[in-house]
Amino acid sequence: MSIVDSIGGPWAAQDPNTILVLTGELAVAEHPKVMVTPALGSCVGVSLWDAFRQRGGLAHVMLPSPAESRVAGRIERFASVALPRLADEVAEGSTIRRLVAKIAGGSTMFGSDGGLASIGERNILEVKAQLALLRIPLVAEDTGGTHARSMELYLDTGLVVVRSYRYGIKEL
Amino acid sequence: MDPENLSAMQIDALREVGNIGAGHAATALSQLVGTPVRIGVPDIRLLPITEVPAVFGGPENLVGAVYSRLLGDLSGGLLFIALRKDLLAIADLLRSREVGTSKSLGADEEGLVTHAASVLQSAYLAAVSRFTELSVLPSPPQFAFDMMGAILEAVTTAIGMKAETAILIMTRFETEEVAVDAALFYLPDPDSLDVVLGRLGIV
Repeated sequence: MSIVDSIGGPWAAQDPNTILVLTGELAVAEHPKVMVTPALGSCVGVSLWDAFRQRGGLAHVMLPSPAESRVAGRIERFASVALPRLADEVAEGSTIRRLVAKIAGGSTMFGSDGGLASIGERNILEVKAQLALLRIPLVAEDTGGTHARSMELYLDTGLVVVRSYRYGIKEL
Repeated sequence: MDPENLSAMQIDALREVGNIGAGHAATALSQLVGTPVRIGVPDIRLLPITEVPAVFGGPENLVGAVYSRLLGDLSGGLLFIALRKDLLAIADLLRSREVGTSKSLGADEEGLVTHAASVLQSAYLAAVSRFTELSVLPSPPQFAFDMMGAILEAVTTAIGMKAETAILIMTRFETEEVAVDAALFYLPDPDSLDVVLGRLGIV
């Protein structure tokens, strides 16, 4: 697991309570931290939340499974790896039956190019399949479409805020 | 080929290709808009793909992008990126309107910008093609206006996460009325970059 606190540009001045999850990463935190993952395109943001412990995790997955890419890199960028790991780390050995999931992203950024079109949808399918395997209920989602989203997870209420240029602010 | 391992000579060669590509692009744009278009000396840099969003002020910044996938002897992608005000200026120039007339980025403006970007991409590709004597074809261009990070992410996943290096060509196109800043990213997959350098005779 890795948590990156700052990257360049305006993102360098981060609120200390904010945990930034970048592309292909996952992180776990407890209230009063707020978790943020910026600019989901074809990627899918997955949040798992434990109401009792006010603890949760956020992952930003890029591709369905390691079969998609031969290139070395962060293994957590694949849904089939990131989701079991995220569930493990949020549950920390205690029961994962309290966890609920909310997901956002998986859009198709560039119109009708055949090669590009399916990645977002396949990401969503794989994330849902993994959640079903882990028996974690998916309680809300904001997926598909052709626009980018940013996703925030508030760990006290489990509220997920999805921000996009086209539709403004949406609460899940 | 790692971007850090490129020699000064290799970077110079890629710069030269970029310069000539930008030259072709200015000629093509002049013909499109019907008035002379000059180009400033392009600023050409090689940067790791993860640093690309920072060029436009962070992953959540809004940009207009036109993406074309490369087919043929080289694989990778070409990504044209400009800020909203520059997109509107391009649309005005192509419509021979006074710059500042377009206020919103509608379907008409999108079409014009996509067209112009596609011409720029082809001009650059023609330079790459001529230097390397390879046949490279662009796929039909696709337009998106959204967060920089998401656009880059969609593009890199589309070329299979293979591109590590982006060749950034920052160009300023000037007519008598207006200057337009635009960036063209060439995202070769590592094998293709080796092929290009090999063909340029500087491995």
